[in-house]
Amino acid sequence: MATHPVIFTTKTPYALPSQKFLIPIQWKRYQLSQLINKALSLPNPIPFDFLVRGSDILRGSLGEWTTANGVGEEDTLEIEYFESILPPQRMSTLPHEDWVSSISSQIPQHLLTASYDGHIRLFDYSQAVVADIPTHAAAITSICSIPPVSSPNSSESDLDSEDRQTFTIASASHDLTARLTKISLPLSSHSQKATFQSLATLHLHTLPLSSITADSTGTHLLTASWDGLVGFWDTQVPDQDDGIPASLLGNGEDASSQPKKKRRVAADITGETKLRRKAPLTVFKSHTNRVSKALFGAENGSGNGKAYSCGFDSTVRTWDVEMGVCVDTITASKKPFLDLALTPDARTALAASTDRTVTIYDLRASSLTTSAGALQHPTTVSCIALPTSAHAPSPSATAKAANLDADPGIANHDATISQNQFVTGAYDGIARVWDLRSMRAAVAVCRVWEGKKKILSVDWARGGAGSGTNGMVSVGGEGGVEIWRVG
Amino acid sequence: MTVAEAKKLLKKRKQQDEEAPEKPAFEESVALEMLSEDENDADAQSESDDGEVDAFPEIDPRSDSENEESEKSEDDDDELEEDVEEDSDEDSHPDLQIFPKSKTIVSDITGQPKRVYPEIEPDYDSDSSTEDDPNRVGNVPMHWYDDLPHVGYDINGKRVLRPAQGDELDKFLQTVEDPTAWTSAFDKNAQMDKPLSADELDIIRRLQAGENPDGDYDPYEPTVEWFTGKGKEEIMPLSAAPEPKRRWLPSKWEKQKIMKIVRAIRQGRIVGSKPTNADTKSFYPIWNELPSNQEPPLPAPKPRLPTNSESYNPPAEYLPTDVERKQWENTDPENRERDYLPQKYSALRLVPAYDRFIKERFNRQLDLYLAPRIQRTKLNIDPNSLIPKLPSPSSLKPFPNYNSLKFSHVKGRVRCLSVSPDGAWVVSGDEEGMVSVWEVNVGREIKRWKLDGKIGAIEWCPRTDVSFFVVGTEEKLHFFIPPHLTPSIFNLTHSLLAPATLPPATQSPIKWMSSASSTDGSILTLNLPSSSGLPKQLAWHRKGDYLASVSSSESQGGVWIHQMSRRHSQAPFKKIKGAVQLVLFHPTKPHFFVATQRYVRVYNLAEQKLLKTLMPGIKWISSMDVHPSGDHVIVGGYDRKLCWFDLELSDKPYKILRYHTRAIRSLQFHPTYPLFASSSDDGSIQIFHARVYSDLMTDPLIVPLKILRGHDVKEGLGVLQIKWTNKQPWLVSAGADGNVLVWCS
Repeated sequence: MATHPVIFTTKTPYALPSQKFLIPIQWKRYQLSQLINKALSLPNPIPFDFLVRGSDILRGSLGEWTTANGVGEEDTLEIEYFESILPPQRMSTLPHEDWVSSISSQIPQHLLTASYDGHIRLFDYSQAVVADIPTHAAAITSICSIPPVSSPNSSESDLDSEDRQTFTIASASHDLTARLTKISLPLSSHSQKATFQSLATLHLHTLPLSSITADSTGTHLLTASWDGLVGFWDTQVPDQDDGIPASLLGNGEDASSQPKKKRRVAADITGETKLRRKAPLTVFKSHTNRVSKALFGAENGSGNGKAYSCGFDSTVRTWDVEMGVCVDTITASKKPFLDLALTPDARTALAASTDRTVTIYDLRASSLTTSAGALQHPTTVSCIALPTSAHAPSPSATAKAANLDADPGIANHDATISQNQFVTGAYDGIARVWDLRSMRAAVAVCRVWEGKKKILSVDWARGGAGSGTNGMVSVGGEGGVEIWRVG
Repeated sequence: MTVAEAKKLLKKRKQQDEEAPEKPAFEESVALEMLSEDENDADAQSESDDGEVDAFPEIDPRSDSENEESEKSEDDDDELEEDVEEDSDEDSHPDLQIFPKSKTIVSDITGQPKRVYPEIEPDYDSDSSTEDDPNRVGNVPMHWYDDLPHVGYDINGKRVLRPAQGDELDKFLQTVEDPTAWTSAFDKNAQMDKPLSADELDIIRRLQAGENPDGDYDPYEPTVEWFTGKGKEEIMPLSAAPEPKRRWLPSKWEKQKIMKIVRAIRQGRIVGSKPTNADTKSFYPIWNELPSNQEPPLPAPKPRLPTNSESYNPPAEYLPTDVERKQWENTDPENRERDYLPQKYSALRLVPAYDRFIKERFNRQLDLYLAPRIQRTKLNIDPNSLIPKLPSPSSLKPFPNYNSLKFSHVKGRVRCLSVSPDGAWVVSGDEEGMVSVWEVNVGREIKRWKLDGKIGAIEWCPRTDVSFFVVGTEEKLHFFIPPHLTPSIFNLTHSLLAPATLPPATQSPIKWMSSASSTDGSILTLNLPSSSGLPKQLAWHRKGDYLASVSSSESQGGVWIHQMSRRHSQAPFKKIKGAVQLVLFHPTKPHFFVATQRYVRVYNLAEQKLLKTLMPGIKWISSMDVHPSGDHVIVGGYDRKLCWFDLELSDKPYKILRYHTRAIRSLQFHPTYPLFASSSDDGSIQIFHARVYSDLMTDPLIVPLKILRGHDVKEGLGVLQIKWTNKQPWLVSAGADGNVLVWCS
């Protein structure tokens, strides 16, 4: 029986002693995984995936890989193994009446969806609608929850009443504005209803907005719009209306019926408090076409103080937030970008474009460098998501969450879903989980709504509290929302 | 005849005698001629002093001698004539005369002496040559007949009997009795004795006497003194004088003579005779092959060479078995694999005559005669080199190549759609009257309107400062404002479509009705003339102030141009030939394209005249578009043809593409990218790269890029309309299956 010398390495806690193994070449992933499980005599069998020479995840037998890559029989293979992603399982579906344009799982144990009917809905993990907020009169295109500001001021405001957890939600819409909405949730029981309050409207754009994102500290927002502008806002709700150009407000048309209705709806939403109008701190102007996504770099590392945006003019631009200028531009050739995501270390950008690819750009290199690789999809890729952990709960948030943080299972799970994985959603109704180390094919596939309806948004939350060690991919789109267990 | 010949010889000699004294006179005459020539020379010399010596014609110095030769030949002729004369004079020997004797008498008429010959009596005796020897056996030894009763045969094949011959006694007696017997000799041919004639006897006598057998020979003739004697002495017969100069110098006198003629010709006194039509006589070598520019005829194919099996002694494996032989005999001759059976003979001499020789020759002749051989000029061209060098489609990216998303109209087929100028929204209208506005990238409908009746055409206004679109239904045009506009744009649009103060009303049969209040319905409605039918096409001027509409009715009220700022409609054509199918505004000039069923006419609206008529050769035009540069037009027809016109070039198509299998429904140029697309009833959309060069010398480059299939053919209808998005190479297509597809690059 032909064998092949192999050295196993791992970053997981399940390390084998460093020695050379002679592995039969017809062994596949299953045999290798069993070998490790037996060698370590693990109590519960853990499936592993094997990354050969740091480039390819082993899919066939070892012999097939060596012949395909032209590796001689004497060469020692270095195989890294990690806990494999189990085939994703559908956990639940949350039906919506209208298309779900954006989904966020940043609020712990809750799922925030924005729909084309202008409503923001908040679900808890028991699939119950906690809140249904008719925010906008037009379709909402993007939503994000602003992490609680850690300043004592805001924490006080969060703590306006006991037993309540409050969040601020930013939503961008087709009606040319973005809104800040505050939701307060009862902590303990479901007897009390969740309440919400519209705080402010953000006025800048003259065409529908495509995305809104908050930074990790919850102090600033970025909006991207079809008019090629990126707005940079703070999250403070002003006491007075900011000076907004009259052309944006349309004071004369309030008399017409549609704004009147909208006003009435808004009045219903806001209740007694007045809706403040906000103006942006800075406007980033460089894009020549629609900006499809704008987001902040992570505060640690090189991404601090930077913002990134991509647009239909085939560019990915890096902005200096303080100066409000474009400091770097990656120009692709004829790739109108639809979505952008950054790895947590802000070194790599993933950009989905209408030519059915997700392109990987190295942000550290100069803008002249070409892409590091491209992931081919069969149809248009509409959204990308990297696994994120939920916001650090506010100080008043549950001790349960704190307990979960201390849970070693969570820590294990963080290792499971490495930084190299992300999920994309495409118009063929398939959410694909990819590994940056093996770009030929998706690692795992979630076929949503029988693969007939478009996915418009995905989000990937690391270890939700109720679901043990598993990550949760929530998929929003034409058919509502589906939640899948991944990893 | 020997006698006669001898006489002739004698006669000749006598003639020469008589000729001799004439010779000097002849020479004198020659000298005389020379003298006269000299005189002429002298004359010419006197005339040639005027210095015209420059143009001296070349004269062959041998011409003199040639003349002499010809003179000599003339002299010979003269001699012959004299011979004849002398013949007539000699009639002094009547016995030896063979020919009839002639008499010289004085003619009664002319008074001159003339010769008269006796009459010839045309009987057999008149000519001795006809007197035949009765024995015709020829020159055979006569002793062959010694034992036979006859001595030969006459001309009729009858025997010539041997004459009776007596014995020796009879002969002796005969010699005694006949006194002439000793002068007779035996004639072998007649096998009898024949008496000798007197001439013969005379010859015998002369031979006996040792004399010359010719009786006329005179051994003592007087000496003829040819070059001696009195008056004939040649004092110096050979001259040592050097050759005269004139032998090698060009003749001065000839030159002068010729110059005289030349001068006369120059002065026009001598006119050359007209060229006779002798030139038309063309001589040609009848035996030479004319040089032919045709190819030499092909050599006939060579007959097949025999093989081993045709040998008289073939190897045993070639010999047929009985089964094979039977099978061969049973098949028809034309079906046989070969037309013979191998046969074995022990020796070559046993091989019989070839039985099919005649038939084979005949067949080959038939073959040669019935199958004329032509030399085919085979083109030795690599077929791949004939394919025009086109760039590969992958180098011409981006172009739409996949179906990104689908928007479905549930009920009817979608006839028309339009993309907003910013390329973000699509408005599509189906035959149930439903108008939907949806996002290009997501495919989510954000607003819909329900109208009554089919939607015939939809066009978005190209202006960017206002935003609205026009929908054509039965005899009506509806104007709609899309949602999600900034207030400034909305106000401007609203004031344009439903102004507070109406501009002064104009004389027009078309009513403009604004409804300021209803935002859900149309803000402005135009009532086209009644019975004008469904507007099947709308075309905006690029500035967005003028809108042209084409109604489907065949009547005159088909084409209207509406002006938004003045709220006025007018019919540009009082009368137009043929049913108008489409109209288009030129993108840069005030030109107006009108497509009827067969022709595309280009009008100048400012000068109100017809500029040109394009003849695409299409039976029924279905679609048309103008290149953004304005210099090129594509026209598609229901007969599957797509014609590309270069307006600068010709009225005829520059290129005709026939790639669709069914009728072409829609065509459009991309406003910014060098692309155009055509859609057809076969359910496919074809994308072409069409690069137009600014210099007039380079032809447009048209490269087929991609065939997009995704629409179903329903009731024979495929893709009914296609539109490009403005800033991206994306295509939106509306199909009869109720779907609107977005194709992305």
